[in-house]
Amino acid sequence: MFQLKKYIAQRILYIVIVFLIISFFMYMLYNLIPTDPARAEVEHLKSELKSEEYAQVYKEARERLGLDDPLLVRYGRWMGLAKDKKGNFNGLLQGNFGYSNLYKKDVRKVVKEPMLYTMFINIFATILALGITIPLGIKTAVKKNSTFDKTVQVLSIVGYSIPIYIIALLFIYLFAVVFRIFPVGGMMTAGSKYTGLKWFADRMHYLGLPLIVMTLASLGGMTRYVRAAMIDSLSMDYVRTARAKGVREKIVVYSHAWRNALLPVITVVIGWFLGIFSGSVIIETTFGLNGMGKLYIQGLTNNDYELVLAMQMFYTVISLIGALVIDLSYGLVDPRVRVNK
Amino acid sequence: MENKKRDFFLTRVFKRLFIGNKKELTVFEEEALQSPFKMVLKNFWANKLSRFGLLVFLVIFLIVMIGPYVWPVDLGFQDNTQLNVPPGFNMMKVPKELKENVEKIYPGNTFGVGVDQDGKVYVWGHTKISSEIDLKNIPEDVLNNKIVDIAVGSDHITALDESGKLHTWGSTRLKQDRYPRELKERMDAGEKIRFKSLAAGIQFTVGVVEDGTLYVWGNTNLNDIKISRDYKDTKFQKATANINNFLALTEDGAAVYIGRQKNALSRIPEGLDKDVVDIASTSFTNAAIKSDGSVVIWGNAMRGERRIPEHEGKIIKIYGGRNHYTALTDQNELISWGDGRYNQNKAPNVGDDKVVDIFVGNYQNYALTESGEMKTWGLKGFLFGTDEYGRDIFKRIINGGKVTMTVGAVAVLISLVIGVVLGGLAGYFGGWTDIIIMRIAEVVGGLPFLPFALILSAIIGTRISPEQRMYLIMIVLGVLSWPGLCRLVRAQIFAQREMEFVTAAQAMGLKESSIVFKHIIPNVISVILVSATLSFATSMLTESTLSYLGFGISPPKPTWGNMLKGANDSIVIQQYWWRWVFTSLIFSICTICINLIGDGLRDAIDPKSNER
Repeated sequence: MFQLKKYIAQRILYIVIVFLIISFFMYMLYNLIPTDPARAEVEHLKSELKSEEYAQVYKEARERLGLDDPLLVRYGRWMGLAKDKKGNFNGLLQGNFGYSNLYKKDVRKVVKEPMLYTMFINIFATILALGITIPLGIKTAVKKNSTFDKTVQVLSIVGYSIPIYIIALLFIYLFAVVFRIFPVGGMMTAGSKYTGLKWFADRMHYLGLPLIVMTLASLGGMTRYVRAAMIDSLSMDYVRTARAKGVREKIVVYSHAWRNALLPVITVVIGWFLGIFSGSVIIETTFGLNGMGKLYIQGLTNNDYELVLAMQMFYTVISLIGALVIDLSYGLVDPRVRVNK
Repeated sequence: MENKKRDFFLTRVFKRLFIGNKKELTVFEEEALQSPFKMVLKNFWANKLSRFGLLVFLVIFLIVMIGPYVWPVDLGFQDNTQLNVPPGFNMMKVPKELKENVEKIYPGNTFGVGVDQDGKVYVWGHTKISSEIDLKNIPEDVLNNKIVDIAVGSDHITALDESGKLHTWGSTRLKQDRYPRELKERMDAGEKIRFKSLAAGIQFTVGVVEDGTLYVWGNTNLNDIKISRDYKDTKFQKATANINNFLALTEDGAAVYIGRQKNALSRIPEGLDKDVVDIASTSFTNAAIKSDGSVVIWGNAMRGERRIPEHEGKIIKIYGGRNHYTALTDQNELISWGDGRYNQNKAPNVGDDKVVDIFVGNYQNYALTESGEMKTWGLKGFLFGTDEYGRDIFKRIINGGKVTMTVGAVAVLISLVIGVVLGGLAGYFGGWTDIIIMRIAEVVGGLPFLPFALILSAIIGTRISPEQRMYLIMIVLGVLSWPGLCRLVRAQIFAQREMEFVTAAQAMGLKESSIVFKHIIPNVISVILVSATLSFATSMLTESTLSYLGFGISPPKPTWGNMLKGANDSIVIQQYWWRWVFTSLIFSICTICINLIGDGLRDAIDPKSNER
């Protein structure tokens, strides 16, 4: 147990270092963009003041915003590691994510709702995908090399080869244009003021297609993974022993084999779930959902870099923590993997 | 054996990897000595599915790599007349009933209209001008009357019936059916009007009535179609129309520009005030032939409209398409010249079969011969249709495929080089080198891929040229995707170093370099190959995703991703299905095949599948 704690502490330290490196790199990139906040701030005074006075005001603004300080100092301020001009620590670490020029709001407020939305659809899609892939994976593993298995194998290759936006286009065409079951895009009926159950039904109606597409797109890879894990555990000696003892096949498969196959599957599911965060960009832009991905694209296209930078940091943290969680869960679920190694 | 020249070291390695030893082996020796690569190939070939994938991929690859030389794409090209044309080759498919007794054929932008001698109107080709207007919907009174003359503009059709009444259908929003007052009065008075010539351009129509009076009507804002005062009372014998200019021929044989503007077309060359026998116009030039057969062409000839091919005899008739001319000589020879984008300047040889009538317009040519044969040349249609700028989707798929595959391949190559070198170093040296390299790999691997690629492309990509942007995408993809391969190579080398055969080699006193190259690398290379194959598909997918989101390779340079960029629009999905279906299809087939190959390779190198 002590070793595990030490290991976690080490990993967290490592995450902090990596985070700082990446964030510094990103901040440097961000500073490559030729913007001048000081000029933007004093521009309106240009016509009122004489040129020397204007130059003075401009210089003061630059001074006040600390634009002439070295890059490292500015980075420190932004991150909250160095004192700003007022003598306070007020940066990312203190919870000041910056100000969105596009929405004229604090980034924190801008991001809140899309983040919840993205989380909601991702959790939903994950549950749906698992509900399908696990039984399918088990069945294909049990009937390895049968026609059924081979068909699923080919279909799953098809599934993970096709880009998700092409699947989306196809499904929009089929279910929104030809059969008109679902709307083409959007989040809810425009101008509707539903409440309660009706609100939920309306939301789900609009969410249906994105959810189906997201689930379908992840089926291929997940099914293959469950199948591989299951085949591995079915070839274990304890399965042979159980069969030799005359245990019923159902129990062998679901109790002996699946329980052991579950462990690697869980770790993959965690990683996959975290990866979906940055991957939802495509689905959200295709269906016009106001999630984080769409916000990110909006920020990029509108040069709202403070918003983008903050979100980028969020994605980085998620992926770093994700890596840690996966490593830890490997150790937790499989005692054979020694984390201190 | 002594005098046998020793091969160059690399050649030997190559032979060992790919060919194996040439000596005849017994079955048992073969079992023991088959090179790993050969074994993999054999296993791979035995797998029907991956064999199929390989063949299909090779076909696509060859088409995409050779295709751009056959069908090059002009990046600046746009054609407003061929927007969103559905796939098919029916633009010059004259109905059989019409072929037998043609009165007149008038080619439109993407369709053709014809009248037979019984006064029946036929329409073929792509006639849907907008979501509401379809020129195929011929009005009732046109169907019920006997039509004797017809002219087709960009979005309207004007037809004259037996009783001398005009009918116009299609778009009439811009006064396409507002006939001149005088003409209307004559029609209302019951005069049986016949036209000596009737032609139409963009939203306007021009006709010369049998008594020599010229009438022009339609959208006057777009076109210079007012009749200048000088020609109020002149008698004409012919008028031609194209896009937004028109030219007239007086009864005295003078070619005249009747509009009021001064432009390249209104400056008629000297010597055309008499003896002109025929006139024609393309969109930027006008042409006239004199009685001695000489052809005079003026205007803005940028597409070879002046380059008249060699011909026998003298030209007696001339017709103008959009950017090309077709002419008939008195020796019954057909010649075409000018723009050849759709082969509209490649006139067929009719031999002795006398040409009776020629109908030319836009990109189409129809020639009717005495034997009743209908010769057609020019634009038949598009295999995969056209996109929102009138560009041929087939060509763009071919050219886009080359870009997508090149980007994917270069990205994989970059990641391969970085991954193999760093992984090799880490695996070979171990210790501190290993630790440092692995930490770097973890940092790069820890970056959220898509957001990171997006932000890099957005920040750097906006300040460089599109060409540089393409290289940027390659580099970004390559540099961000090496850690997986690096880890794989390192692990493989670690694992191989511990194998018995390496220990045996070491015990035999082989050199370190010999152990690495002859014994370790051949065992690792197949794993690298699988990984490279699979990441080739991934790179192509990522590139297309970036382009689809608008952060990859920017149009007009086509890639499979950016061709699909505008497709997530309900109108495009619904009405212009060909704009996304074909690209999606070929792209999906391509990635599926690559993954099948990769999968097959992985199975082939898996020792478990080698058990016999």
